[in-house]
Amino acid sequence: MYLLVKQQRVARDNLDSKVFLEGLAGTGKTTAGIERVKHLLHAGVPPSRILVLVPQRATGLPWQEALRRSRAPGSAEVRVTTLGSLARELLELFWPLIAADTGCAQPLAPPRFPGLELSQFLMRRFVGDEIERRDYFRGVTISRNRLYTQIVDNLNKSALVGFPPEEIGTRLKAAWRGSSEQAFIYDDAQACASLFRAACLSHNLIDFSLLIDILRKQLWPLENARGYLTRRYRHVLVDNLEEDTPTLHDLLRDWLPLCDSALLIYDSEAGLRRFLGADPAQARSLQALCDLSVTLDRRRAMSEDVAALHHALAQTLGREAGPAPKRGVGRAALRWPARARWHPQMIDWTVGHVATLVHEEKVAAKEIVVVAPFMPDALRFALQARLDEHGVPHRSHRPSRALRDEPEVRALLTFARLAQHAPGLAPDRFDVAGALTTAIEAMDPIRARLLADALYRDGGLLPFENIRDARLQGRITFQLGERYDRLHSWLAQVPAELPLDLFFSSFFGEVMSQPGFGLHRRESAGATVANLVDSARAFRRLLTELDPAAPVAADYLRMVEEGVLANQYLRDWELDRSEGVLLAPAHTFLMSNRPVDYQFWLNVGSSGWGRRVYQPLTHPWVLSRHWDAGRKWLDADEEEAGAESLANVALGLLRRCRVRVYLGISEYGERGMEERGPLLLALHNMQRFLVPEDDDV
Amino acid sequence: MNLPEDFVFTQGNLQDYVDCPRRFELKYLRRQRWPASEVDDMEAFERHLEQGALFHRLVQQSLLGLPPETLRPRIEDDEVARWYDAWLANGLADVPSQRWPELTLTAPLGKWLLLAKMDLVAIAPDGRALLLDWKTGRHMPRAVRQAQRLQTRVYRNVLAQAGARLNGGEAIDPERIEMRYWYAQHEGEVLRFPYDEEKYRADDRFLRGLAREIDRCEDFPLTDDERRCRFCVYRSLCGRGEKPGPLAEWEGDEDMALPTDALDIDELDEIAF
Repeated sequence: MYLLVKQQRVARDNLDSKVFLEGLAGTGKTTAGIERVKHLLHAGVPPSRILVLVPQRATGLPWQEALRRSRAPGSAEVRVTTLGSLARELLELFWPLIAADTGCAQPLAPPRFPGLELSQFLMRRFVGDEIERRDYFRGVTISRNRLYTQIVDNLNKSALVGFPPEEIGTRLKAAWRGSSEQAFIYDDAQACASLFRAACLSHNLIDFSLLIDILRKQLWPLENARGYLTRRYRHVLVDNLEEDTPTLHDLLRDWLPLCDSALLIYDSEAGLRRFLGADPAQARSLQALCDLSVTLDRRRAMSEDVAALHHALAQTLGREAGPAPKRGVGRAALRWPARARWHPQMIDWTVGHVATLVHEEKVAAKEIVVVAPFMPDALRFALQARLDEHGVPHRSHRPSRALRDEPEVRALLTFARLAQHAPGLAPDRFDVAGALTTAIEAMDPIRARLLADALYRDGGLLPFENIRDARLQGRITFQLGERYDRLHSWLAQVPAELPLDLFFSSFFGEVMSQPGFGLHRRESAGATVANLVDSARAFRRLLTELDPAAPVAADYLRMVEEGVLANQYLRDWELDRSEGVLLAPAHTFLMSNRPVDYQFWLNVGSSGWGRRVYQPLTHPWVLSRHWDAGRKWLDADEEEAGAESLANVALGLLRRCRVRVYLGISEYGERGMEERGPLLLALHNMQRFLVPEDDDV
Repeated sequence: MNLPEDFVFTQGNLQDYVDCPRRFELKYLRRQRWPASEVDDMEAFERHLEQGALFHRLVQQSLLGLPPETLRPRIEDDEVARWYDAWLANGLADVPSQRWPELTLTAPLGKWLLLAKMDLVAIAPDGRALLLDWKTGRHMPRAVRQAQRLQTRVYRNVLAQAGARLNGGEAIDPERIEMRYWYAQHEGEVLRFPYDEEKYRADDRFLRGLAREIDRCEDFPLTDDERRCRFCVYRSLCGRGEKPGPLAEWEGDEDMALPTDALDIDELDEIAF
């Protein structure tokens, strides 16, 4: 591979040094890092001695793919992982040595790891009643699930930043300068966090925050555990160091002196995951521990025109813009829309241009991304539907609907309710008819409704022969009646105590996916039901350990109805190897770290660009290491944080664009309100920095 | 050509192809998830897989130096405790002291890679290399059958190709390699499979041929042996029956991964949206 001289200093030379590599996104830092791994391998370093750390799984995929393709000996064996995964591995292996010191009430019993979805459930179980009883969070108008999420988020920050969880409320209150009601809310958040932590400890439940806490306090100080990592991995590479947390930075401070070599890759002007505890300033302080610093400043992703656009926008946003590119016309890399008044017009304009690029200009669909500050279901669905109409392949890391809203999932949940025969769980007639429509091939909603009306009695289904009216039998048809009977007879025989996930698997395999039934050879439905089975299984395994007498199936069904479970898909970037146009929130695309040729920025007028997510119970800046105790969070701070966020996202997007950006703008936003957010203003202001397109530059 | 440039072969996906080319296509090329049951008694099956995972972790912990007196009192499952006792008694009998637990090795296979994840590799000072795999299944297969399993052929082949770094930079002579299966449910009985140059060459030809065949395969046919379909999750997708087979007759590989409820810590950014 062709490498610039500076890249060679990282990739080929200095293989026994600790190198701090920085530069803007798109300057070839990761490429240099991957090449360094290959050279280490060619130099005889065993792959089992090399570790690549990334802030999240998506960031590691380019590494894994490149290393799998490489012919370097053992390149596919190099481990690419996250701090969280390492922490869990250490905890599982060394639990017997540290359990007694963790504060867990059952040190002889194994630890249990609830995922994000189950943490929501646990939060509801452990603190939900207390919130009701004490009337916590009065006046906070966010959904209960988002409230739980922010309590979890506070605990995560305390662990990742490294302050005691008992200080969450005090820190938040100390920075608050508004009404005393809000200050009480921080007390409530503290009380809930403490309650949750105490409950986790009493049940050996290791949520992410406790995992990190134990890593800091018990595992890392334990020689066996620390040595397991530091003796095993002698060559450490860290990508996107600025997106990682103070916990990792602290560990590296101890680890780097023990390494044979290291490469710390720092993306200048990033810090996109600050709201998750990323700390670019802490990350930079590790530069002092390195033998050598290299800065890459020659762009490799952006074309001349995009670079000129980037320069103009950086100037507008008051960011370090460096010297202007010698060639390149910024305007040529930007497409403004024709005047669009309404949001659907903007979507049509976007999809029209995407279709032209794919069908007429023969651009590979995977080289196009459509981003927005947020990608709500309605926007995603509208884009997907229109792209389908134009025959443009697309992909998204979240589906258009939550798992529980998928028809096959709703049908399975309804049949599960029927099979449970439990009070309070009987589905309504409308749901039964819907489930029959989904489950039986060729069953239309009218016939399904007739069946439900005739055969759904007292929470259970009756056999088809119970329809005495020959005319009604004829309307439904005997063929559908026979299929209905197969379904009914299976449900009648299934034991009520069969765990729900096994019920879903069996009913799917033995009935719904068989010939004559609605999911026969429906491959996408298979994947959806598999997600449901995973969710129900994880719930069952956790709850039966917590409370062996709990009515697991009934509880699961109730949690789904309340939106606590099966409410979102977890993204799986690894499974997604499709080549379609990517639809994603801007932030998600940025963290995937893959440049594309064409970008469409939607809802450019939205105030979501450059505004913090509304999180009334937490605060990423105040809960960071850099916040002075007692200092108030002022409007000026909010403004500065917004400006930083806007610059990070907008300039970060440009650095990952090779050819052109299309701006999706409508006078009225999704909710019909006029929108003039900070990105739109910045783009207008930028005009003065752009050289006219027809000027000879 | 069917296979992407970065495809990685394993004993598992090769065995799937040999057992049923359609299963290989669905599972690894189309990545089709199909959540039907493998066996009739899934609760017992799941319990068994959990026991297997727990036992493997205990062995790994022991090999990392955690003492039995720390580990043994924590084992709540009597059956796993028996396995562990048996392993303590003879699991490491005659195993050289230079050991690499949970070792992953890769070797080239045509344009692709062949990956083996081994429970334990041990090398003696005289260069003798022992490859160990802990088995927790009820069935102890006949040696003739186990010799033909892809695991036996792949692991020894990969160690011969890629084991140099465990052996002071010297390639490990196939004549010095032995693969040993240790059966927990059979009081630590073992099956031993020595290797030699002739077998190595035969395996090499066979594996390369198999990889080429998979890459060029135009149609991935269903297996002729329909008994296999009883234990395959894709049976309804392939029109090969409704009910899963009885657990007592299941002879699959218990090393298959448990469905994980792993902490989805890398997905934290979902929180904000």
